[in-house]
Amino acid sequence: MPESIPASLIIDTLKDTFREARAWLAAEVAAPPRHPHLGWILSVPDTHQRTVLAALDKEQAIRVLTCATEDEATTTAAGLWMGGEPCVLMIQHAGLYASVNTLRGVAIDGRVPVFYMIGLLSREKDKDPRESRHSMVRYCEPLLDTFGVPHARLEGPDDVHLIPEYFRLARERRGPTAVLVGLETI
Amino acid sequence: MLKPEDVLGAIAAARGDAICVPTMTTAPAWRTLAPDDLSVTCVGFMGGASALGLGLALACPDRRVVVFDGDGSLLMQLGSLATIAGARPRNLTHLVFKNGVYHTSGAQDIPGGLDVDFVVMAKGAGYRNAYAIKEPNDFTRRLPTMLTEEGPVLVELHTGLAEKTPMTDRGGLPFHRQAETLRTKLRGPRG
Repeated sequence: MPESIPASLIIDTLKDTFREARAWLAAEVAAPPRHPHLGWILSVPDTHQRTVLAALDKEQAIRVLTCATEDEATTTAAGLWMGGEPCVLMIQHAGLYASVNTLRGVAIDGRVPVFYMIGLLSREKDKDPRESRHSMVRYCEPLLDTFGVPHARLEGPDDVHLIPEYFRLARERRGPTAVLVGLETI
Repeated sequence: MLKPEDVLGAIAAARGDAICVPTMTTAPAWRTLAPDDLSVTCVGFMGGASALGLGLALACPDRRVVVFDGDGSLLMQLGSLATIAGARPRNLTHLVFKNGVYHTSGAQDIPGGLDVDFVVMAKGAGYRNAYAIKEPNDFTRRLPTMLTEEGPVLVELHTGLAEKTPMTDRGGLPFHRQAETLRTKLRGPRG
Protein backbone atom coordinates (compact mmCIF):
# COMPACT_ATOMS: atom_id res chain seq x y z
CA MET A 1 0.00 0.00 0.00
CA PRO A 2 1.31 3.49 -0.78
CA GLU A 3 2.25 5.81 2.07
CA SER A 4 2.43 9.58 2.38
CA ILE A 5 5.89 11.13 2.31
CA PRO A 6 6.89 13.81 4.84
CA ALA A 7 7.60 17.21 3.34
CA SER A 8 10.87 17.48 5.22
CA LEU A 9 12.17 14.31 3.59
CA ILE A 10 11.33 15.59 0.13
CA ILE A 11 12.96 18.95 0.81
CA ASP A 12 16.14 17.38 2.14
CA THR A 13 16.25 15.18 -0.94
CA LEU A 14 15.74 18.18 -3.21
CA LYS A 15 18.61 19.98 -1.49
CA ASP A 16 20.91 17.02 -2.05
CA THR A 17 19.75 16.83 -5.65
CA PHE A 18 20.54 20.49 -6.24
CA ARG A 19 23.94 20.18 -4.55
CA GLU A 20 24.79 17.36 -6.90
CA ALA A 21 23.63 19.43 -9.89
CA ARG A 22 25.80 22.34 -8.81
CA ALA A 23 28.77 20.01 -8.46
CA TRP A 24 28.27 18.83 -12.07
CA LEU A 25 28.28 22.40 -13.26
CA ALA A 26 31.35 23.28 -11.23
CA ALA A 27 33.17 20.40 -12.88
CA GLU A 28 32.17 21.57 -16.35
CA VAL A 29 32.87 25.29 -16.36
CA ALA A 30 35.67 27.59 -15.39
CA ALA A 31 33.60 29.97 -13.34
CA PRO A 32 30.27 28.49 -12.26
CA PRO A 33 27.67 31.03 -11.22
CA ARG A 34 27.65 31.76 -7.52
CA HIS A 35 24.19 32.12 -6.11
CA PRO A 36 23.11 32.11 -2.47
CA HIS A 37 20.50 29.44 -3.26
CA LEU A 38 20.88 25.81 -4.27
CA GLY A 39 18.18 25.67 -6.93
CA TRP A 40 14.69 26.52 -8.03
CA ILE A 41 11.24 25.05 -7.61
CA LEU A 42 8.88 26.13 -10.37
CA SER A 43 5.40 25.44 -9.19
CA VAL A 44 1.84 25.69 -10.28
CA PRO A 45 0.45 24.88 -6.86
CA ASP A 46 -0.59 21.28 -6.42
CA THR A 47 -2.96 20.17 -3.69
CA HIS A 48 -1.17 16.85 -3.44
CA GLN A 49 2.20 18.46 -2.63
CA ARG A 50 0.91 21.38 -0.60
CA THR A 51 2.80 20.49 2.59
CA VAL A 52 6.04 20.59 0.61
CA LEU A 53 5.13 23.95 -0.90
CA ALA A 54 4.22 25.30 2.54
CA ALA A 55 7.52 24.13 4.01
CA LEU A 56 9.43 25.58 1.06
CA ASP A 57 8.10 29.01 1.98
CA LYS A 58 10.39 28.90 5.00
CA GLU A 59 13.43 27.66 3.07
CA GLN A 60 16.19 30.10 2.23
CA ALA A 61 18.27 27.63 0.24
CA ILE A 62 15.63 26.90 -2.39
CA ARG A 63 13.92 29.60 -4.41
CA VAL A 64 10.31 29.04 -5.32
CA LEU A 65 8.65 30.67 -8.29
CA THR A 66 4.92 30.25 -8.64
CA CYS A 67 3.89 30.26 -12.28
CA ALA A 68 0.48 31.00 -13.70
CA THR A 69 0.57 27.96 -15.99
CA GLU A 70 2.56 24.78 -16.50
CA ASP A 71 3.47 26.04 -19.99
CA GLU A 72 5.30 28.93 -18.38
CA ALA A 73 6.91 26.72 -15.77
CA THR A 74 8.32 24.37 -18.41
CA THR A 75 9.59 27.19 -20.60
CA THR A 76 11.05 29.12 -17.67
CA ALA A 77 12.86 25.92 -16.70
CA ALA A 78 14.49 25.94 -20.14
CA GLY A 79 15.77 29.46 -19.60
CA LEU A 80 17.13 28.56 -16.18
CA TRP A 81 18.85 25.49 -17.66
CA MET A 82 20.54 27.57 -20.36
CA GLY A 83 21.83 29.83 -17.61
CA GLY A 84 23.14 26.90 -15.57
CA GLU A 85 20.53 26.93 -12.82
CA PRO A 86 19.06 23.65 -11.53
CA CYS A 87 15.32 23.46 -11.11
CA VAL A 88 12.45 21.09 -10.40
CA LEU A 89 8.86 21.49 -11.55
CA MET A 90 6.11 20.67 -9.07
CA ILE A 91 2.77 20.38 -10.80
CA GLN A 92 -0.41 18.33 -10.91
CA HIS A 93 -1.47 15.74 -13.46
CA ALA A 94 -4.07 18.13 -14.86
CA GLY A 95 -1.29 20.64 -15.46
CA LEU A 96 0.68 18.07 -17.38
CA TYR A 97 -2.30 17.57 -19.66
CA ALA A 98 -2.65 21.34 -20.07
CA SER A 99 0.95 21.79 -21.13
CA VAL A 100 1.54 18.90 -23.50
CA ASN A 101 2.58 21.08 -26.44
CA THR A 102 5.22 22.77 -24.34
CA LEU A 103 6.41 19.41 -23.02
CA ARG A 104 6.85 18.40 -26.65
CA GLY A 105 8.31 21.64 -28.01
CA VAL A 106 10.60 22.60 -25.16
CA ALA A 107 11.56 19.49 -23.22
CA ILE A 108 11.39 16.79 -25.90
CA ASP A 109 12.20 18.50 -29.22
CA GLY A 110 14.24 21.16 -27.44
CA ARG A 111 16.21 18.48 -25.60
CA VAL A 112 16.00 20.35 -22.32
CA PRO A 113 16.32 18.29 -19.14
CA VAL A 114 13.08 19.11 -17.35
CA PHE A 115 12.34 17.12 -14.22
CA TYR A 116 8.72 17.01 -13.07
CA MET A 117 7.22 16.03 -9.73
CA ILE A 118 3.59 15.38 -10.59
CA GLY A 119 0.93 15.02 -7.92
CA LEU A 120 -1.73 12.38 -8.58
CA LEU A 121 -4.63 14.17 -6.95
CA SER A 122 -7.56 11.81 -6.27
CA ARG A 123 -5.43 8.69 -6.62
CA GLU A 124 -7.10 5.92 -4.63
CA LYS A 125 -4.88 4.32 -2.02
CA ASP A 126 -6.05 0.80 -2.84
CA LYS A 127 -5.89 1.03 -6.61
CA ASP A 128 -3.19 1.07 -9.21
CA PRO A 129 -3.25 4.55 -10.82
CA ARG A 130 -3.83 2.98 -14.24
CA GLU A 131 -7.04 1.49 -12.89
CA SER A 132 -8.28 4.61 -11.13
CA ARG A 133 -11.88 5.56 -11.63
CA HIS A 134 -10.66 9.15 -12.14
CA SER A 135 -9.51 9.85 -15.69
CA MET A 136 -7.05 12.51 -14.51
CA VAL A 137 -5.25 9.83 -12.49
CA ARG A 138 -5.67 7.03 -15.00
CA TYR A 139 -4.28 8.89 -18.03
CA CYS A 140 -1.10 10.23 -16.48
CA GLU A 141 1.25 7.30 -16.97
CA PRO A 142 -0.11 6.40 -20.42
CA LEU A 143 0.38 9.99 -21.54
CA LEU A 144 3.98 9.99 -20.34
CA ASP A 145 4.47 6.64 -22.07
CA THR A 146 3.04 8.03 -25.31
CA PHE A 147 5.58 10.84 -25.28
CA GLY A 148 8.41 8.57 -24.21
CA VAL A 149 8.96 10.34 -20.90
CA PRO A 150 10.62 8.07 -18.31
CA HIS A 151 8.69 8.09 -15.07
CA ALA A 152 8.50 6.40 -11.68
CA ARG A 153 6.10 6.33 -8.77
CA LEU A 154 6.85 7.81 -5.37
CA GLU A 155 4.78 5.40 -3.32
CA GLY A 156 6.32 6.13 0.06
CA PRO A 157 9.36 7.42 1.95
CA ASP A 158 11.53 4.58 0.68
CA ASP A 159 11.10 5.88 -2.88
CA VAL A 160 12.59 9.36 -2.47
CA HIS A 161 15.87 8.11 -3.94
CA LEU A 162 13.99 8.25 -7.25
CA ILE A 163 14.05 12.05 -7.11
CA PRO A 164 17.83 12.42 -7.67
CA GLU A 165 17.82 9.38 -9.97
CA TYR A 166 15.24 10.80 -12.35
CA PHE A 167 16.70 14.31 -12.06
CA ARG A 168 20.02 12.79 -13.13
CA LEU A 169 18.33 10.81 -15.89
CA ALA A 170 16.83 14.01 -17.34
CA ARG A 171 20.31 15.48 -17.56
CA GLU A 172 21.79 12.36 -19.08
CA ARG A 173 19.11 11.88 -21.73
CA ARG A 174 18.61 15.60 -22.37
CA GLY A 175 14.88 15.51 -22.04
CA PRO A 176 12.01 15.30 -19.61
CA THR A 177 11.58 12.81 -16.80
CA ALA A 178 8.97 12.61 -14.07
CA VAL A 179 8.17 11.14 -10.70
CA LEU A 180 4.55 10.74 -9.71
CA VAL A 181 3.62 11.58 -6.14
CA GLY A 182 1.15 8.86 -5.24
CA LEU A 183 -0.40 10.15 -2.05
CA GLU A 184 -0.68 13.58 -0.49
CA THR A 185 2.54 14.59 1.20
CA ILE A 186 2.38 15.22 4.95
CA MET B 1 4.28 53.52 -36.95
CA LEU B 2 7.54 51.66 -36.47
CA LYS B 3 9.18 49.38 -38.99
CA PRO B 4 10.15 46.10 -37.28
CA GLU B 5 13.42 45.75 -39.16
CA ASP B 6 14.48 49.27 -38.14
CA VAL B 7 13.64 48.55 -34.51
CA LEU B 8 15.65 45.35 -34.54
CA GLY B 9 18.58 47.01 -36.28
CA ALA B 10 18.73 49.71 -33.63
CA ILE B 11 18.57 47.11 -30.84
CA ALA B 12 21.31 45.05 -32.47
CA ALA B 13 23.54 48.11 -32.44
CA ALA B 14 22.76 49.08 -28.86
CA ARG B 15 22.28 45.83 -26.96
CA GLY B 16 25.87 45.17 -25.88
CA ASP B 17 26.04 41.69 -24.32
CA ALA B 18 22.30 41.35 -23.75
CA ILE B 19 20.65 37.99 -24.38
CA CYS B 20 17.86 38.38 -26.95
CA VAL B 21 14.81 36.16 -27.35
CA PRO B 22 13.03 36.69 -30.69
CA THR B 23 9.92 34.83 -31.77
CA MET B 24 7.74 34.52 -34.87
CA THR B 25 8.14 37.46 -37.29
CA THR B 26 11.13 38.99 -35.54
CA ALA B 27 13.11 35.77 -36.00
CA PRO B 28 14.08 35.99 -39.70
CA ALA B 29 15.33 39.57 -39.50
CA TRP B 30 17.16 38.93 -36.23
CA ARG B 31 18.99 35.97 -37.75
CA THR B 32 20.43 38.33 -40.34
CA LEU B 33 21.15 41.18 -37.97
CA ALA B 34 22.71 39.17 -35.16
CA PRO B 35 23.98 35.81 -36.35
CA ASP B 36 25.93 33.61 -33.98
CA ASP B 37 25.46 35.65 -30.85
CA LEU B 38 23.71 35.48 -27.47
CA SER B 39 20.23 34.82 -28.78
CA VAL B 40 17.74 31.99 -28.64
CA THR B 41 14.58 31.98 -30.74
CA CYS B 42 11.30 30.79 -29.31
CA VAL B 43 10.36 28.44 -32.12
CA GLY B 44 8.11 25.39 -31.89
CA PHE B 45 6.17 26.56 -28.85
CA MET B 46 4.44 29.81 -29.79
CA GLY B 47 3.74 32.00 -26.78
CA GLY B 48 6.77 30.92 -24.79
CA ALA B 49 9.13 33.84 -25.41
CA SER B 50 8.26 35.74 -22.25
CA ALA B 51 8.69 32.72 -19.96
CA LEU B 52 11.91 31.73 -21.71
CA GLY B 53 13.22 35.24 -21.17
CA LEU B 54 12.19 35.09 -17.53
CA GLY B 55 14.20 31.92 -16.93
CA LEU B 56 17.25 33.44 -18.58
CA ALA B 57 16.88 36.66 -16.62
CA LEU B 58 16.66 34.80 -13.32
CA ALA B 59 19.65 32.62 -14.16
CA CYS B 60 21.78 35.54 -15.38
CA PRO B 61 20.94 38.46 -13.10
CA ASP B 62 24.01 40.44 -14.17
CA ARG B 63 23.07 40.44 -17.84
CA ARG B 64 20.19 42.19 -19.63
CA VAL B 65 17.62 39.93 -21.28
CA VAL B 66 15.46 41.38 -24.06
CA VAL B 67 12.37 39.51 -25.27
CA PHE B 68 10.97 40.32 -28.72
CA ASP B 69 7.42 39.13 -28.17
CA GLY B 70 4.47 39.36 -30.51
CA ASP B 71 0.98 40.50 -29.59
CA GLY B 72 -0.60 37.22 -30.72
CA SER B 73 2.17 35.26 -29.05
CA LEU B 74 1.82 37.04 -25.71
CA LEU B 75 -1.93 36.45 -25.74
CA MET B 76 -1.19 32.72 -25.76
CA GLN B 77 0.51 32.96 -22.36
CA LEU B 78 -0.89 36.16 -20.98
CA GLY B 79 -0.53 34.87 -17.44
CA SER B 80 3.21 35.22 -17.88
CA LEU B 81 2.77 38.93 -17.21
CA ALA B 82 1.79 38.13 -13.64
CA THR B 83 4.46 35.46 -13.28
CA ILE B 84 7.15 37.87 -14.49
CA ALA B 85 5.88 40.66 -12.27
CA GLY B 86 5.91 38.31 -9.29
CA ALA B 87 9.47 37.21 -9.99
CA ARG B 88 10.63 40.84 -10.37
CA PRO B 89 13.62 40.30 -12.66
CA ARG B 90 15.40 43.65 -12.65
CA ASN B 91 17.22 42.81 -15.88
CA LEU B 92 14.26 41.92 -18.12
CA THR B 93 13.04 44.11 -20.97
CA HIS B 94 9.89 42.73 -22.57
CA LEU B 95 9.21 44.23 -25.99
CA VAL B 96 5.86 43.51 -27.62
CA PHE B 97 5.77 44.02 -31.38
CA LYS B 98 2.15 45.00 -31.80
CA ASN B 99 0.67 44.73 -35.29
CA GLY B 100 -2.79 43.44 -34.44
CA VAL B 101 -2.56 40.27 -36.52
CA TYR B 102 -1.18 36.76 -36.63
CA HIS B 103 1.15 37.70 -39.44
CA THR B 104 2.82 34.32 -39.85
CA SER B 105 -0.41 32.39 -40.38
CA GLY B 106 -1.90 34.82 -42.87
CA ALA B 107 -2.50 38.08 -41.00
CA GLN B 108 -5.77 37.12 -39.31
CA ASP B 109 -6.78 39.64 -36.62
CA ILE B 110 -5.76 38.76 -33.07
CA PRO B 111 -8.64 38.74 -30.58
CA GLY B 112 -9.37 42.39 -29.89
CA GLY B 113 -7.08 43.52 -32.68
CA LEU B 114 -5.20 46.74 -32.07
CA ASP B 115 -7.49 47.67 -29.18
CA VAL B 116 -5.73 45.25 -26.84
CA ASP B 117 -3.70 47.37 -24.42
CA PHE B 118 -0.65 45.47 -23.20
CA VAL B 119 0.64 48.51 -21.32
CA VAL B 120 -2.39 48.56 -19.07
CA MET B 121 -2.17 44.80 -18.58
CA ALA B 122 1.53 44.88 -17.70
CA LYS B 123 0.99 47.67 -15.22
CA GLY B 124 -1.96 45.85 -13.76
CA ALA B 125 0.12 42.70 -13.41
CA GLY B 126 2.80 44.61 -11.51
CA TYR B 127 5.57 45.37 -14.00
CA ARG B 128 7.86 48.08 -12.71
CA ASN B 129 7.28 50.11 -15.85
CA ALA B 130 5.29 49.86 -19.07
CA TYR B 131 4.74 52.25 -21.93
CA ALA B 132 3.92 52.37 -25.65
CA ILE B 133 6.01 53.74 -28.49
CA LYS B 134 4.49 54.63 -31.83
CA GLU B 135 7.00 56.91 -33.55
CA PRO B 136 10.55 56.18 -34.74
CA ASN B 137 11.99 59.28 -33.11
CA ASP B 138 10.47 58.36 -29.78
CA PHE B 139 11.88 54.84 -30.07
CA THR B 140 15.37 56.13 -30.87
CA ARG B 141 15.23 58.51 -27.92
CA ARG B 142 14.07 55.92 -25.41
CA LEU B 143 16.04 52.90 -26.57
CA PRO B 144 19.06 53.39 -24.27
CA THR B 145 16.79 53.65 -21.26
CA MET B 146 14.66 50.62 -22.11
CA LEU B 147 17.81 48.50 -22.34
CA THR B 148 19.12 49.59 -18.97
CA GLU B 149 16.25 50.65 -16.74
CA GLU B 150 15.22 48.53 -13.80
CA GLY B 151 12.81 45.83 -14.87
CA PRO B 152 10.62 44.19 -15.46
CA VAL B 153 9.67 46.70 -18.11
CA LEU B 154 7.24 46.15 -20.99
CA VAL B 155 7.35 48.30 -24.09
CA GLU B 156 4.50 48.04 -26.56
CA LEU B 157 5.93 48.85 -29.98
CA HIS B 158 3.34 49.83 -32.59
CA THR B 159 4.73 48.34 -35.76
CA GLY B 160 3.80 47.54 -39.31
CA LEU B 161 4.22 44.07 -40.70
CA ALA B 162 7.67 42.56 -41.00
CA GLU B 163 9.02 41.93 -44.48
CA LYS B 164 9.60 38.26 -43.72
CA THR B 165 7.88 35.67 -41.59
CA PRO B 166 9.00 32.21 -40.46
CA MET B 167 6.83 30.85 -43.29
CA THR B 168 8.28 32.99 -46.07
CA ASP B 169 11.85 32.78 -44.82
CA ARG B 170 12.45 29.40 -43.29
CA GLY B 171 15.78 28.58 -41.80
CA GLY B 172 17.86 29.05 -38.75
CA LEU B 173 18.98 26.44 -36.28
CA PRO B 174 16.37 24.30 -34.52
CA PHE B 175 15.60 25.32 -30.98
CA HIS B 176 17.58 22.53 -29.37
CA ARG B 177 20.78 23.58 -31.12
CA GLN B 178 20.23 27.23 -30.29
CA ALA B 179 19.59 26.34 -26.66
CA GLU B 180 22.70 24.21 -26.40
CA THR B 181 24.81 26.88 -28.08
CA LEU B 182 23.57 29.61 -25.79
CA ARG B 183 24.08 27.43 -22.72
CA THR B 184 27.66 26.78 -23.78
CA LYS B 185 28.34 30.46 -24.35
CA LEU B 186 26.84 31.49 -21.04
CA ARG B 187 28.86 28.92 -19.13
CA GLY B 188 32.11 30.05 -20.72
CA PRO B 189 35.09 27.90 -21.60
CA ARG B 190 36.64 25.57 -19.10
CA GLY B 191 39.79 27.22 -17.74
